Amino acid sequence: MQTAFTLLIFPGLGFIVLCAWLFDWLDRRIIARFQGRVGPPWYQPVADFIKLLAKEDILSTGINPALSTALPVLSLASVLTVSLYIPVARTAPVSFEGDLIVVLFLLSIPALAYFLAGWISGGVYGILGANRSLLQYFSYEVPFLMALSGPAILGNSWRIAQIAQQQVGTTWNLALQPLGFILAVVGLIGKLKRDPLDIPKAKSEVVGGSLTEYSGRKLALWHLAMDMQTVLGIFLLINLFLGGTSASPLWGGLGFVLKALGIVLLLSTASVLYARLRIDQLANLGWRVLAPLALMQLAATIWMGG
Amino acid sequence: MGLRSFLYLLPEAWRTWLKRPSTVRYPFGPLELPPGFRGRVVIEPDNCRGCSLCVRDCPADALELQRVSRDEFRLIFHPERCAYCGQCELSCNFGAITLSNDFVRATTDRDTLTEILVDRKPEPESEA
Amino acid sequence: MKSDKMIIPIGPQHPLLKEPIAFTLTVEGERVMEAGMRMGYVHRGIERLAQERSYVQTIHLVERVCGICSHVHATTYCQGVEALLGLEIPPRAQYLRALLCELERIHSHLLWLGVLGKNLGLDTIFMYAWRDREIVLDIMEDLSGGRVSHAINVIGGVRSDVDEAHCDEILRQLDLLTEPLARLVGLVEHERTLKARTQNVGHLSLEQIRRYCVVGPVARASGLDVDLRRDMPKAPYTDLSFKVITHTAGDVWARTLVRMQEAVESVRLCREILAQLPDGPISVKAKRRVPPGEVVSRAEAPRGELIYYIRSDGSEKPARLKIRTPTLTTLITLPEQLREVNMADVPAVLSGVDLCIACADR
Repeated sequence: MQTAFTLLIFPGLGFIVLCAWLFDWLDRRIIARFQGRVGPPWYQPVADFIKLLAKEDILSTGINPALSTALPVLSLASVLTVSLYIPVARTAPVSFEGDLIVVLFLLSIPALAYFLAGWISGGVYGILGANRSLLQYFSYEVPFLMALSGPAILGNSWRIAQIAQQQVGTTWNLALQPLGFILAVVGLIGKLKRDPLDIPKAKSEVVGGSLTEYSGRKLALWHLAMDMQTVLGIFLLINLFLGGTSASPLWGGLGFVLKALGIVLLLSTASVLYARLRIDQLANLGWRVLAPLALMQLAATIWMGG
Repeated sequence: MGLRSFLYLLPEAWRTWLKRPSTVRYPFGPLELPPGFRGRVVIEPDNCRGCSLCVRDCPADALELQRVSRDEFRLIFHPERCAYCGQCELSCNFGAITLSNDFVRATTDRDTLTEILVDRKPEPESEA
Repeated sequence: MKSDKMIIPIGPQHPLLKEPIAFTLTVEGERVMEAGMRMGYVHRGIERLAQERSYVQTIHLVERVCGICSHVHATTYCQGVEALLGLEIPPRAQYLRALLCELERIHSHLLWLGVLGKNLGLDTIFMYAWRDREIVLDIMEDLSGGRVSHAINVIGGVRSDVDEAHCDEILRQLDLLTEPLARLVGLVEHERTLKARTQNVGHLSLEQIRRYCVVGPVARASGLDVDLRRDMPKAPYTDLSFKVITHTAGDVWARTLVRMQEAVESVRLCREILAQLPDGPISVKAKRRVPPGEVVSRAEAPRGELIYYIRSDGSEKPARLKIRTPTLTTLITLPEQLREVNMADVPAVLSGVDLCIACADR
């Protein structure tokens, strides 16, 4: 009974899905207010999801139907598995030594599924979007991984719950590794394919990118997987950099919520401020700026931590 | 200009948030129209002589005059063809046809839009 | 490695384009090797329709060639017909026509800046530019009764007047516009990501400009100093002083700068026009039958030089109306600009030339 509740309601499926919709609405509302607009009402992401579920599922000729259905399901499944390991205000259904590595591995699966989805779509926009998504993956993933290894080295453990625990009461890892946090945020923006790194699905260049040919229920699953990936990425950052959660349920929960809102605000602000980078500019940025900075941060951490 | 150029839009974005949104929430909020707005065509039937100057000058053939005699005619208006240019208002020498500030309502049946602006019948002969 | 050439269609429907036009890009990897173009999707046969309508009706027809520069089309047409009729329109009408022309220039450039921002992924510029454009649209609505279709021109002058209070209101609204416009200009000059996407992209040299007879801000951004308002001045531009903005870089960034600085200059021009507005009537009576003749009428539209050729045969309907819009000249340069660019630069290039396909296709 306890397990079913943890897996399906909190902090499992139900909670993550609700958070996904909530964060999507917050993101769109914040961006709208920055731009002088009103923004959508609170039920908009739910309405979009229901609408997509009701739409016709068009399958172009030449696309392998089994593969085209398997990819969003695989994305969703890997994201849901990640949710088992990331503590939400101290409750994580499963936690073991090394689960940070498992999480990072599982979080790359949606990116590869996204690439495959474009590759098999057969249309030019899909192939172009898929190529770009893979190139983008190679540009941000290395600094991202290095930045996320920093807290693990500081905390002397590869267990997310423990890294979070060790920050409670003492300094946040953000203060000890500010550069690492910035790199992790940039990497997260790249992973989530948000503005300004939404190159693979740049509407004005490749129409829809990998997902151009998707419609209906499968597209709903893709969007849900993307939104849930956002939520889990934010939770991961909170646990690794922003001090985890304190013991008391009230203050701990409140702190967690406020930190999540803070990172949502940060991501939305980044969306508002910048134009989309070109893919070669991103590759330049990733390998010439971000990777050396991440190396520097790692070196400093190792030297400081000892 | 170094750091500022990286965050150039931030002060403006912050300022925009603090103000009200610029959206006019019509129809849930008021929409102000200037006095010269070119909306729906309205007629002053008593002034209309049936001279068909407006019909001749309409670029969209939205006005139609069905004439039986000098005192019996019908001026029909097709709002779905109207371009809201106001040429009829300019051409009329008698001030009979003007453009108001109203919007034209939407409908699903095209025939319900057609308006008979003037339906002039001859005066019945009065008993001497 | 075997090179695979992909043919990517941009259009006729594409999120990048406001209006339908078809480009077929032959892409190898991320580089565009060749570009083909096909237009005519919005061809409505306006020149032919004009032959079926009277001169009065054609004013409204011609205004609907383009939604963005509608007033300039009507003005050029009316100027041509007035020349055929031998009419001299009152100075107040000339000033009011010029006022609306300059307002249209501001609104067109702001619209274009928003579209450029949106195509480059900076939605924020889109929202800000179009929010500030609302001020200009409100001014035009107060002046003429419509935000987009102004219908203020008649053959012989204009048809609605402004009084003292209205002039003050327009000046007040222009003051509201000055600061946001300055911020947008500063944004174009300094914002890093915008510069990174638009500099050294879509370069056109002066020699290419001359060869293709490009006009407008695209030509001025490559160094060609041509502006019809100064080179062939009609009243009231003979009494007004303004700068013609040119730049030498010739890339999309230079075009952006030229357009935004032109918008600032136009605000100044509007103020000057309102300050110097002469008294008098706003129109003269014009005959319905135009004596036979032919005339070439030119004006500076927001996108460049607009040419109208009108031939009359003595009846109430024009015998021939020929429109040469400025977008046609910039469209021809596109296949050459699109050669050897990155796929990711295509939005910047296409947005940089400020396409108004409705104008080009008529």
